[in-house]
Amino acid sequence: MSIKHEKEEYLEKLWSMKEDNTEDLATLSSEMNHADHDKIMHELEMDHLIHTDNGKVRLTESGEERARQIIRAHRLAEKLIFDALGGDYEAGACEFEHMVNSEMVDSICILLGHPRECPHGRPIPQGDCCKRALKTAECAVMSLAEMAPQQSSRVAYINGQSNPTRLSKIGSLQIRPGAMIKLEQKTPSLVIQCEGADIALDEKVAADIFVWKECTKNRRGCFQDDQPQKGTCKNRAGFGFMRRRRGGMGN
Amino acid sequence: MATQKQKLKIGIVGLPNSGKTQLFNNLTGTYSVVANAILTTISHKKTTCEINEYLCEITDTPGIHDLHAQSFEEASTRDYIFIEKPDVLIMCMDSNRLKQSLNLTLDLLELGIPIIIALNAIDETCRRGILLDTRRLFHFLRVPVIECIALSGQGMDELKEAIFQAKGIKWEFKYGSVIESGIDQIVRKLPPEIINQRKIAGLLLLNDPYIFDLIKQFENITDNDIQEIQTRVNDTRKAFQGNIARMVNQRRSHWVDDIANEVITQQKVTPHEFEKTFARLCRTPLTGIPILLFIIYLVYLGVVNCANVIAEWMDVRLWGPVQDLINALVPAGFFNDFLIGDYGILSLGLANAFITVLPILSVFFLIYNTLEDIGYIPNLCVLTRRFFEKLGLSGESVMPLVLGFGCKTMATLTTKSLQSKREKYIAIYLIAFAIPCAAQMGLNISILGRMGLQAFVIAFSVLIAVEVIAGLILNLVLPYEEKGEFIQELPPIRFPTMKAVLVKTWYRMIWFLEEAVPVFIYAALALFILDKTGILMASKLFLSPVIQGWLGLPLEMVDALILCMARHEAAAGLIIKLISDGLLNFTQCIVAVVITTMFVPCFANIMAMIKELGTTRAIVMTVIINASSFIIAGCLNWALFYWY
Repeated sequence: MSIKHEKEEYLEKLWSMKEDNTEDLATLSSEMNHADHDKIMHELEMDHLIHTDNGKVRLTESGEERARQIIRAHRLAEKLIFDALGGDYEAGACEFEHMVNSEMVDSICILLGHPRECPHGRPIPQGDCCKRALKTAECAVMSLAEMAPQQSSRVAYINGQSNPTRLSKIGSLQIRPGAMIKLEQKTPSLVIQCEGADIALDEKVAADIFVWKECTKNRRGCFQDDQPQKGTCKNRAGFGFMRRRRGGMGN
Repeated sequence: MATQKQKLKIGIVGLPNSGKTQLFNNLTGTYSVVANAILTTISHKKTTCEINEYLCEITDTPGIHDLHAQSFEEASTRDYIFIEKPDVLIMCMDSNRLKQSLNLTLDLLELGIPIIIALNAIDETCRRGILLDTRRLFHFLRVPVIECIALSGQGMDELKEAIFQAKGIKWEFKYGSVIESGIDQIVRKLPPEIINQRKIAGLLLLNDPYIFDLIKQFENITDNDIQEIQTRVNDTRKAFQGNIARMVNQRRSHWVDDIANEVITQQKVTPHEFEKTFARLCRTPLTGIPILLFIIYLVYLGVVNCANVIAEWMDVRLWGPVQDLINALVPAGFFNDFLIGDYGILSLGLANAFITVLPILSVFFLIYNTLEDIGYIPNLCVLTRRFFEKLGLSGESVMPLVLGFGCKTMATLTTKSLQSKREKYIAIYLIAFAIPCAAQMGLNISILGRMGLQAFVIAFSVLIAVEVIAGLILNLVLPYEEKGEFIQELPPIRFPTMKAVLVKTWYRMIWFLEEAVPVFIYAALALFILDKTGILMASKLFLSPVIQGWLGLPLEMVDALILCMARHEAAAGLIIKLISDGLLNFTQCIVAVVITTMFVPCFANIMAMIKELGTTRAIVMTVIINASSFIIAGCLNWALFYWY
């Protein structure tokens, strides 16, 4: 139903086209050969990710940023599967790039020792971790109880599979992996906002709900907009891959 | 579809606090209490009415999240759908919580019952910068989607139209070969008269705690069958090597996300919501406690400065002339006493209800209903949670206790869903003990207000202390159990609408009069007979050591305690009369309020306790409460005596 997946594939293609120094619209449409070509192009343009002009197409600044993240995830995934697992890297990586967030990508990058080229020999765009030459990967998730008040994040996973009553209760409130959560307050009880509802929780329950750390720090990849604004990160409703996942929602 | 003669069964279902009852009121033209709170409706309500010349039987149900029941109320709604088989379901969808609502819709679509979606509260989503594409929603769900604002009654005509156009669309979601074959096997074992076998089989696999109760309701099912069903369920669970619930939920949430993504448009810039800030301030101790105290003070001022004045004015202007008239017409003697004597049916019965109690209750309910529509009271459970935790109540049992300040009977009934027996026991005890219900609260404030703010503060501090000590003792005495967890949906803070508050106050007054006035009159009559036969005097003399000696109260308070057993409001009326006669002083007034608040919970509350705990336990509890109320009130009397 949603075409975010296709949009990401287009951005990816445009990036490699840029690497090959072509801006030809016809090349894009023939190589992608997608039934919804016009719709996808239209939406990309609406989102200010691409710029078409006279049979030429190129990525805008924000489009380039997003494409860079996707390419980075894709090529790192290829590298991981090729080097570490020795599998069919092409097929696996295609799915992988749509599922990970930049924290995870960075962790993989560190694990692989900041590789520069993918198995095809194309360059892997550098990430924040490469510039700082990090040697150890940080934990990408934290429990809900560790969040700061007024902070928003996306649920990574929920522990406590042994307690099905609680799990189904949490599930029926739509607190589940992928859901956006905003922590309204921490004392005397935690109150979170999730999908339009305010929910009060125990610390005990909150300690079993894990969220992505991604938006707690000002790092590249956090921002989708043309001009990253410092210090406003935590006021945002989701970043990077989160927004990408919600592609159709008007962001 | 139904002919003119057949009754069309319509069920209104939806998430908790999504406006089902308001919709019900709009459709049927009757009135049931609506509030900005969850658990407002805890039992089904049925009304027959005519919609567009068709006879319809509309049922209002307690809120559910999905068909997988987690509490007794939710299970009862599901049983209604499965057993009573409504012809049409109106799904009351809270636009603010579209995803949760879609999740429920998905469950209902699998049943194949014709569904209409009433997209409620779209005014709020608009204000929040969320736009819902109703046409697209219709396109995806293929059932009528009607935009409406139940509170102001908008969209009701369209909804009524749509009821007769609803068509059954059966959706079937497949969950993979292992689960499907498991479902098939279970379905074969289910009795053939059960509808929605597939859904029930699914719920069995999801380990629904209430589903076996549903199956057992069918007559020709034997224990053997149930055993076999259980075996198949276990086999399927074993065969599926993961968590079935997780798999099923994942499939469903994909579907929900896909639709929500297409339907919702969120504006980037939205106004700051004052309501959200206020809600947060109310729930944070630093600001929340002052706000709570301020609200209590406002209620106090309202009741004392407004209600008491009205009551006095009515007493002089309305009751005075009637009294004079009767005195002129009926000479002093038996009949004069019967009508307007100390225990006259007019004086102690009607005037007590209409002139003394009604004005106080109406002012108090006006304030209380406003608070209820704002949604303030349920939000208190966050603020007070730590406090209740000390009393051995963690998590889920806080809500019933907070609800106890509204109606103790209803609060007692909501404890049904508590998992932990120990917490249930503590909660029921504390609700019955020293928590005044809304009506009692209003009258207590009015009584104490006549003695000044100090009396009010002392009396309520004592009641709180009693509650704390009782909780601590129970906490120590009862065997330890794993604590329940606290996951509680909170209603959003809303601006109350004047009309809704007034309508609710009006109905609460009418209900009070309908229920209480006969009781007031019978109680007056009973007292009158006891008085004339001399039994009353004898019992007063018998009780005088306790009443006068231990409690330090005038003997007339015996009447109040007897009235208390019938109706707390009647006792309050009598106490107010004693105060105006100058028979109660500052200390006595406090003691009187404390003892009447704790003394015998009202009859309906005792019935609810019997229902939840069993007769023996409920009676033991009532006896303990009564005994301790006398002991505590006496101690208070002596403490105050030495203090002043």
